[in-house]
Amino acid sequence: MSETLLFLIPLLPLLCAVVNMLFGMRLPRLFAEILAVTGVAGAFVLTLLFWGYAEGEGTRAVLFTWLNSGSVDIAFALNFDRLAAPMTLMVTGVATLIHLYAVGYMHKEEDYARFFSLLNLFVFAMLTIVLGDNLLVLFLGWEGVGLCSYGLIGFWYHKVENARAGTKAFLVTRVGDVFLGIALLWLFALTGTLSISAINAEASSLAPGVVTALCLLLLLGACGKSAQLPLMTWLADAMAGPTPVSALIHAATMVTAGVYLLCRFFPLVSLSATGMLAITAVGALTALYAASCALAQREIKRVLAYSTMSQVGYMFMAVGAGTVAGAMFHLLTHAFFKALLFMAAGIIIHLTGDENDIHRMGGLFRRGPVELFWVFLAGAVCLAGLPLTGGFFSKDGILLAAFTHPDPFYKVFWAIGVLTALLTAFYTFRLVYLVFAGEPRGDGHPHAIPLLMRWPLWPLALLGLLGGGLNLPAFVGGGERLHHWYAELAGRAVSASHVVEWALVGLAVAIAVAGWLAAHWRYRSYRPPQDNLVSRFLLSGWQADALVDRLFVRPFAAMARFCSIGCDRALFDGVLDGVARLATSWGGLIVQLTTGRMTTYLSAFAWGFLVLLGWFLLKLVNGGGH
Amino acid sequence: MIVPFGHVMAMAMALFVLGLTCVLLRRQILMILIGVEIMLNAASLVFVAASNRWQQADGQVFVIVLMAITAAEVAVALAMVVYLWRRRRTLVADDFNRMHG
Repeated sequence: MSETLLFLIPLLPLLCAVVNMLFGMRLPRLFAEILAVTGVAGAFVLTLLFWGYAEGEGTRAVLFTWLNSGSVDIAFALNFDRLAAPMTLMVTGVATLIHLYAVGYMHKEEDYARFFSLLNLFVFAMLTIVLGDNLLVLFLGWEGVGLCSYGLIGFWYHKVENARAGTKAFLVTRVGDVFLGIALLWLFALTGTLSISAINAEASSLAPGVVTALCLLLLLGACGKSAQLPLMTWLADAMAGPTPVSALIHAATMVTAGVYLLCRFFPLVSLSATGMLAITAVGALTALYAASCALAQREIKRVLAYSTMSQVGYMFMAVGAGTVAGAMFHLLTHAFFKALLFMAAGIIIHLTGDENDIHRMGGLFRRGPVELFWVFLAGAVCLAGLPLTGGFFSKDGILLAAFTHPDPFYKVFWAIGVLTALLTAFYTFRLVYLVFAGEPRGDGHPHAIPLLMRWPLWPLALLGLLGGGLNLPAFVGGGERLHHWYAELAGRAVSASHVVEWALVGLAVAIAVAGWLAAHWRYRSYRPPQDNLVSRFLLSGWQADALVDRLFVRPFAAMARFCSIGCDRALFDGVLDGVARLATSWGGLIVQLTTGRMTTYLSAFAWGFLVLLGWFLLKLVNGGGH
Repeated sequence: MIVPFGHVMAMAMALFVLGLTCVLLRRQILMILIGVEIMLNAASLVFVAASNRWQQADGQVFVIVLMAITAAEVAVALAMVVYLWRRRRTLVADDFNRMHG
């Protein structure tokens, strides 16, 4: 097998997307569904087959030269290396399960071809980000996921708020994309190449100030895609899309693209202490912000969306604390259990008759299928970080990395991380209790749950619960396999004395259990939500939308109004209309001369002739004078 | 040359002014056309007088051409007058003002 065959990994979903896009509605429905699943599952199998290529330095595969002009030589190339391989496997694997789930979830949807082609196209774009060898290919995928998420969030565009949510996601992430674009061009101007590995190799020769600026630009770019402060407002609204979309885009893959970007550029980013501090700060603050917002949310998917934001914040913290392996570890376990939670939430919404409000659910433990409770609980304990789950180990690794960082500032972020963990455990179990405990409070009629929606949850539940095995820390007897797999890409090796490590683990356990107990005490028997200032503030996401509205949208609208009414209508239109009116009124004067009567014209003609004659006579007289 | 050149010119000028006055002041299309004819005759008279004054035949040639053109013009003009009369039953020039702005 030649390494060019690596291109099959992204191209297979693309091919299926194109076929579905062009012929999907003419094909039998079953065929379109099989095609969509096959594209992604095929990519998954291929990733497994090509796994060997990732070892060592990784494999670079060039398909063709994209741009070639003078010294610029940009190839359409993929780089299947140690960082990309696990991510590719996760994206294709989770996406396969989500596609299967989506076949069940969308079995009544009439516009299935558009849905599945967009879903496949999204996987293609995501794989392009993950595998891209140079920044241009990466940027292609980067914009591609933005476009697909726009199309998928606003999939049910008949409702205007869905279409608005899609537009919002597109525009807000586009703000980040601008910064990434600037970073991309700047890097090209500095190094003359767009190859990621070449840029990373040359990073140490750049001026420290420039590296910091680049680092901040990359961070802002990553913030847009990963819904971190200050570009986080789109994620909660993005829940307007179909649930499989939420699972795929907003849990497993797209929001982690920012983390992946920072990991890709870790050799560059890690050169700037300021930049690393900024990354950690953004991550920690977003984690806390989103966790606090999740406390008060009423819609099940919004709770999960805020928890996603919060967990991605942890990943940013990990990158900032210098451990790529830790970030990727949390990324992988999070992808498993968050996709699981979203898909379970989709089932819950089906069972409660399209009810989104958790305060109108309840009693699903007795009423719903038993297995639903257990898989949801599996996801919930991972999210809450209960001991021995995947989420516990990955989150603990990040907190340990922040705690052991030599810079004392990181202790603050560690404290924020611990507080966030407490909030996370609380809101997770709040969700579990409100959905499953007590008596049913809603009046919706349950839909039947297709088999395809049920069984993709099990592998994810297992992966989430046992995901800790990927990178089990040494002090509990694990091999830190992920850390060793990444080798020189893994970043700082996190180590501390066993006492500190066990103490932190004890703290994490205590925090998770405390969160659970608090939720148990508060929500064991249902109490209706209180409508006070704090809960309203948290429900609205700290009024972030209003703040953005006041800071950017309204000044922009005012500027647009000024340009439209002040400049365009008053100034330009006024001047032009004035000139036109003047011409018309003058024309009105002149038009009185054209009476249409021949006699008037004749007399005018005679008078004109007389004037002409007089003039000639005058000339004659003057000429005679000489 | 019995009649002096200046007299003929004065006569032609008087004719021309009479014709012009007729054209400008009369409202009947037929009278306007007659005025035009009188003005043309004045022009012919100038041509003949000038031809005689400088002993050149050109002026007389012009007069013959002018007579032919005048005949044609009158034929067309009278045809149009008849047409206008049939259409509107009036020959007052001011009644035909549909071309006003």
